[in-house]
This record gives sequence, structure tokens and C-alpha cells, in this order.
Amino acid sequence: MSQLRINDLIPDNRLVTSGHLACPGCAAPLGMKLALNALGPNTIVVMPASCFTIIAGPWPQSSLQVPVFHTAFATGPAVASGVRAALDMQGQHDTNVLVWVGDGGTFDIGLQSLSGAAERNENMIYVCYDNEAYMNTGIQRSSATPWGAWTTTTPAQFPEASPKKDMLGIMVAHGIPYAATATPAYPADLVAKITKAKAMHGMRFIHLLSPCPPGWKCGDDEGLELARMAVQNRVFPMLEVEHGTRWRLTMEHAGDPVEPYLRRQGRFRHLSAEQVTHIQAQIDVRWQQLMRRMEAEALASV
Amino acid sequence: MPEPITTTGGARAIPQVAMSSTSTLPTHTGTWKYQVPAYHDRVAPCNARCPVGIDIEGYMNLLRLGRVEDARDLLLTENPLPAVTGRVCHHPCENACNRRTLDGAVAIHAVERMLGDLAHQHPAPTFRATPLAERVAVVGSGPAGLACAYHLARLGYGVTIFEAAAEPGGMLRLGIPAYRLPRDVLDRDIARVAAHGVEIRCGVRVGSDVAWAELTATFDAVCVSTGAHTSRALGVPGEELPGVRPGLAFLRDVNAGRRPDLGRHVVVVGGGNTAMDCARSALRLGAKVTVAYRRTREQMPAIKEEIEDAMREGAEFVFLANPVEFTARDGHVQAMVCERMALGEPDASGRRRPMPTGETFTLAADTVLTAIGESSALTQFFADVEGSDAGLRVDALGGTTRDLLYAGGDVTDLERTVADALGAGKRAAIGIDRHLRHHKGDTAELNALRFAQGNLSAARWMGRDPIVRTAPVNEVVTADDVNFTQFRRRPRHADPHLPSAAAVQGFDEVNAGLPEALAMDEARRCLNCGVCTECDVCLIFCPDAAISRAEGGAYVIAMDYCKGCGICAAECPRGAITMSQDRP
Repeated sequence: MSQLRINDLIPDNRLVTSGHLACPGCAAPLGMKLALNALGPNTIVVMPASCFTIIAGPWPQSSLQVPVFHTAFATGPAVASGVRAALDMQGQHDTNVLVWVGDGGTFDIGLQSLSGAAERNENMIYVCYDNEAYMNTGIQRSSATPWGAWTTTTPAQFPEASPKKDMLGIMVAHGIPYAATATPAYPADLVAKITKAKAMHGMRFIHLLSPCPPGWKCGDDEGLELARMAVQNRVFPMLEVEHGTRWRLTMEHAGDPVEPYLRRQGRFRHLSAEQVTHIQAQIDVRWQQLMRRMEAEALASV
Repeated sequence: MPEPITTTGGARAIPQVAMSSTSTLPTHTGTWKYQVPAYHDRVAPCNARCPVGIDIEGYMNLLRLGRVEDARDLLLTENPLPAVTGRVCHHPCENACNRRTLDGAVAIHAVERMLGDLAHQHPAPTFRATPLAERVAVVGSGPAGLACAYHLARLGYGVTIFEAAAEPGGMLRLGIPAYRLPRDVLDRDIARVAAHGVEIRCGVRVGSDVAWAELTATFDAVCVSTGAHTSRALGVPGEELPGVRPGLAFLRDVNAGRRPDLGRHVVVVGGGNTAMDCARSALRLGAKVTVAYRRTREQMPAIKEEIEDAMREGAEFVFLANPVEFTARDGHVQAMVCERMALGEPDASGRRRPMPTGETFTLAADTVLTAIGESSALTQFFADVEGSDAGLRVDALGGTTRDLLYAGGDVTDLERTVADALGAGKRAAIGIDRHLRHHKGDTAELNALRFAQGNLSAARWMGRDPIVRTAPVNEVVTADDVNFTQFRRRPRHADPHLPSAAAVQGFDEVNAGLPEALAMDEARRCLNCGVCTECDVCLIFCPDAAISRAEGGAYVIAMDYCKGCGICAAECPRGAITMSQDRP
């Protein structure tokens, strides 16, 4: 069969229940569903403020069928360090601690506690589901918002003026055992990475591109296709890095032009042709940098 | 209500800290939606474009599941001659295949051929009809006549085919050379038609050996499928010279085992399949062959593979060449004078019209074979039946303007291909059955028998469609409806061919066909457009976990939770889910 066999990889154990409060077409619960399928029920989720705080459901409900610890915006990795220590003291070394944080809680508000936990190589899986702005509070920009994008705090006349922060690069610089990018639009790739991370020990960081139809201003059914475009046009390459040195692309990237990706999203609709050219040039530069870095690391490891 | 996730101090007690005690299932987020998804079987483009009306997607799906015999039977329900069409059909199905967009159309012809050859191992009919009292005469045993007889026999009628030639097959035997269609293959397909109880009387020419009026008097209905056997004349000076002859007459000679002396240089006039058959047969008799065609290669009506094979085997092509005169030496043709043409505006066929330029040139010729089309010579019996130079006029069910006289194949004014003839024969069979069984009905009823705008399905007419369809919608799945990201690129398998140098030494079959394993692999390349294969993509991608497996197969959507985002429909690899704004 030439169809990709994702059904072989993904068991159907329902750890995320229907009735959660994500917007129609939100990719975040899909990411959670796939991640928990790979991790299994012996998992504790630590969740700082984010869209997912809402998606998880209003008290006394919870859409996750594993324990979830809701905590303050900046404290995810710190709380997870404590949960981990408590589990270890009880001998529950095989329980996964999953920190599930948005881009605001990772790139901006939670960066210091994440850096601290990474530096200590705390034994946890940290997933940043990145929808590229503070979507839950009304689409304010974060340092994950790409250059040129509209948000309510970067209106079309004054769009986002800073490039997206290189979060994966920051985490790789900590020399942690595992860092990877992924997206729910490629479920098999995502599940493979979570499964690989699960088998490792120490800080494991996964950066998940998670399309947000209201924030990206696209159709409810378009998000996953846009995420695949972002991978294939190298806006968001799929890669993994082990121990800060072993870099590997996890799929082929066609190198499609970025323009169709931008034009399908309302948040980029105001961009001029020159601005699109600028974005394309930045993508090309970053891709070249990535290729050079992978080459250099490969040579160094010989 | 589910048990609490974590408890301290009793199962139902609310603890000191805020702790969840239920899932989110009490929240019916399905009320948010303004559109609803539903599983619908839609029509694969191959099915819609098949002139025979075969459920191609259906048998591909059965092969995918390893149900080879069921696939064979589904094919045989619609097509009496699959081993023949697997070799000689112009396969419009492949031109329509959505997989072209990804990595090349599925080699449907190769799969059909494999199933057709497989069917030869089990020649007995898998289906026996309840016999009916009425008897039908079919005149002509080409593909149209064989199809009409076959489907009528399967409906239970007593059928007699009258064939003027010594052996059945019509143009399949008289026109198509053995290197394309080996005679044992043809014989076995025809034997299966006969095994359904069809009587084939060869060497009986209706009109001389039996009177037409006698047929109409003794049979309850008559189907005319006598073909088109008269080569159209060029109408240029010198056409009557010895050495200038109709291509069809030449093919008839060769296909009867005779080996006419052609001389050194053979010129074939025309660009259709008869022209290609003439050129390649002449090559096999040792001649140096030039094909002269008045348009260009792109506009040739011949099957693409036939043109490629003719070129590979050494036929030369002169395009934009229109014969204006044949010159003689010692009373025998010596050369063909051609006028150089140029392409002008498109004509009625949509192809650019060749326009004369006034410039002439000469091609040496010891033999000229003309193949610019055929017409049928009809007797006085048909004087009051409506028709034109192009053939008899028939309605949607093969009926002529005379009651209980039906027609199909090249004798009508419809498309002249083997597949179209097989489809026309089926329509005539359904038309005859409808008339004799006094079925009434309107066009809408007939449309329910079609794959979109395609030909009628015999299985549906008999009410025995073995494929269970989910809420079928009679519309074609386009390439835009297919989610190609769910498929891996895997180019199609090419048919193995005899090396050209060996091929032109005789009349052995040139295209060896795909081995069974590779043909099965082609079946697995099928995208199954518009038909759910239970691949789980919707189940995996639904962000609301609202899709689950149903008991007994397929899926159910929990409408209490589906928010109508449309991701299932967008992600479905094959366009089997559609969104609508109607409430379920």
C-alpha cells in the first residue's frame, strides 16, 4: 500500500476526551492526543498558563485522563522538577513527567525556569506547542511570532518587527540529551520523536508547530496543511539533535517557495512583495546556516 | 460518569485543593458547529470514464484486500472480455486517474489483463441466471455483439449470435494483429461467453444465408452489431492502381495467416489504430514502412503506446502529409505524391485543422495501405431505420428507431473503440431486457445505474451490486479532493516488451504484461478515490476525538462533540468525507 501507514504507529487509547474546549480546528489537542498515545497513561502533565489551561476543561472537569498539575505561567519546569523529585523519592522512576507549555510560557515568561531545568538536566519531557502568539488572551505577539506577522499588538501597519526566536538553538546550546521539532500535521514523525524521547533520560525538549485557525486567520480545516507547507518550505524544518551535537533532519524538505504559505493566512495578508522576498531570503539564509552547522558537527564527530 | 481521576479521602469527596472529578464528556461541544461531516462513497474518475462501465476502483479495492477471486468476478460482471481489453483498450481510465498528479496513473490495463488471464483458469461462469422464455438474435460477434449476448445470457435469455466469418470475434480477430492480441487469449475470452449458454453460429451471413425478416420473425428481439468493414476511399487520382489497397483488407489477409507480397516500400495513409496495425504488420513482413498523416503526432487518434511501438519497431512517420495522387510504373503504383499541410484553426473534433500549403513531395511506394476510417455497408432492410453516413442512430439503451431492433458497436454513429463497443453491447442488452420485461422508468432511474456520467452498470441493473456503498453520491472525485501528502511516491511499473528487433521477426505478443506480483502492486497503488478504506486517518486526525471505529467496520462520528472543523474531510486521503451545512 502506498498510503503512509500511520495507523500502525498510533494506538487508539483515548487519553484525551471529547468535549474539551479547544477552538474548532485547533491542532493543540491533536498534539496532546498523539503525545499521550506515545507516552501512555503512566504520565503526569505539568501545565502552566496557556490555551491548554482552558482546553483541559473547567473544574471539576478534565479532558486529560492522566493527572494534570495547573501552575503559574513562569513555573512549568520548576514545578515539574519538584514533581519529578517527589516521584523519584517514591520510587516511581518510570512515570513520565510531561511539561506542556505554549510559546509564551516557553519563549518569554518561562524561559528562565526552563533554562534552569535544562542546565540541571532535570528528567522530564518538555513540549512547547507553538502557535506563534498569545492566542488564548486575544492574539498578542510573543517572541515566537514570526517577522511580519499581524497580531492585535502588532497591527498590520506595524507588524511584528523581530524575527522568531531560535528556541531550538537555545535548548541545543544547553547540551540536553534530546531536542527536536515536530508538528501534529506529521503524526508518525511526532510519535516517533516522543517515543524516542520517552526512552531517554534527562531534559528532552520538543518544539511543536501547532496551527491556530483564529490567530493565523485561516480556515478551520487548513491548519494542518499550512503546517506541512511550513515544513516543506523550510520555515519550520523537521529535525532532532542529540546531546547538542548530533543533528539530523527527520524528513525531506522540498524547499517550496514561502509565498503560498503566507498568502493563505490572514495574519500575513498585508505583506508587500518586497516583504515576502525578505522572508524568503531569511528562510534561505537560515537553511544554509542549518546545513553548514550539520556539516560541521558531522565533521567534528569523525 | 467516570470515576475520579485522583482522590484523597473518598471517591466522591471534593478535596481541599481544586481537583477534577470528571472528564469533559458532559460538555457537548458539538453544539458549536455550523457544518457537519459525513462519509459518502463518491465516484472514482476511472469508473466515470470507463466506456464499458467497469467498477475499476471496486476491483482494485478487493485486490488490496487480497480478495482476488471477488475482484475477478466484479470485473466479469461488467466486462465479458477482460483479457482482450487488458491488452487492446485505449484505457481512458488511466488518462483520468488522479494518481497522474503524484507519480503516474495506476497501470489499470495491466491489472485488468492479469485478472482477465486469471479468469481463463476458471472458465465456468460464476453466476447462473434463471432461464427466461424469450430468445434474442445478435448479428455479428465483435465486442459489441459478444457483450450484448453475454449480458442477455446472464439475465437468462436464450441468445444466438450469427457470424458471417468462419470464427467469432469480429474486428478483434479480423482487424487486430496477433502481436497485440494472441488468438488463444481471444479464443478463451469468447469461450467464456459461450459457456454462459450463448450459441455462436459462424459462417452464417444474415441477409444472404438467413433473411433479416426471418430473424425478426423468429426472435423476440434483434441486436445488430455488424461493425464497419468498408475502408473509406481517399478520393484521389490513381487510387484504383494495383498496389493501392484498403488497410483493413490487408489486415484481414495477414490475420488469416496469409503473407501478401508488399514489395520493398510500404506507405500507410492515416493516423489511427488501423494505420498503426497496418504499419507494424507490414514491418513484420519485411517491408520498409512510412506512415503518412495529414496532421501531427499530437493529433493522431491512435493509442499512444501503439504509436510508440510502431516508432520503436522502425516505422518512419511523415507528418502534415496529405496524399494528392498516386503515380504508376508498368501499371503498378510506384509513388505517392503528397501535399505539405500546415495546422490551422481547430475543427469540429477540437483538433487543429490541416490546411494545404501548395507544396508537394513524393514518397516511393510499392504498396500503399489506406487507413483513414471505415464505414458500414447496410442493406435495404435498414432503409427506414434512422442513421447517417456515420452509422445507425441509437438511444441511450441501444434502441434504433425500429421497435425491438437494437444496435451497438461500429455499426452505430458512436465512438469506435473496443471498449465503447463493449459498453454499447451492454446498453443494448439492458435496453432489450427493459423492453421485454416491460420495465418502465425515466432517465433518473437509469442515472442511478451509472458511475457519475459513465456507462451503465450491469450489476446495478441486475440489482446485484456486490459492493456495499456508504451513502453514495454520484459525483467524481477530482485531484483537488485527494490528499496526496498521505501517500508515498512510488512510480508505476512499466510493461515489459519484446526487444523491437526480435518483435518484428514475427507475430508473437510484443507486450508481455506485468507479472502477477507487479500487477498486484499496481492495484495497491490505487488511491481508491472516493471510497473509505478504513485507513484511520480521520480517526487519528480528529482534534476532538469524536471519531471512533464502528462495530462491524467503518467509523462513527460523535455529533455531540464534533465541532465541524472539517479536518477529517481535509485530511481524508481519498475524498470520502464531505462537509455540508445540512443538519444530520
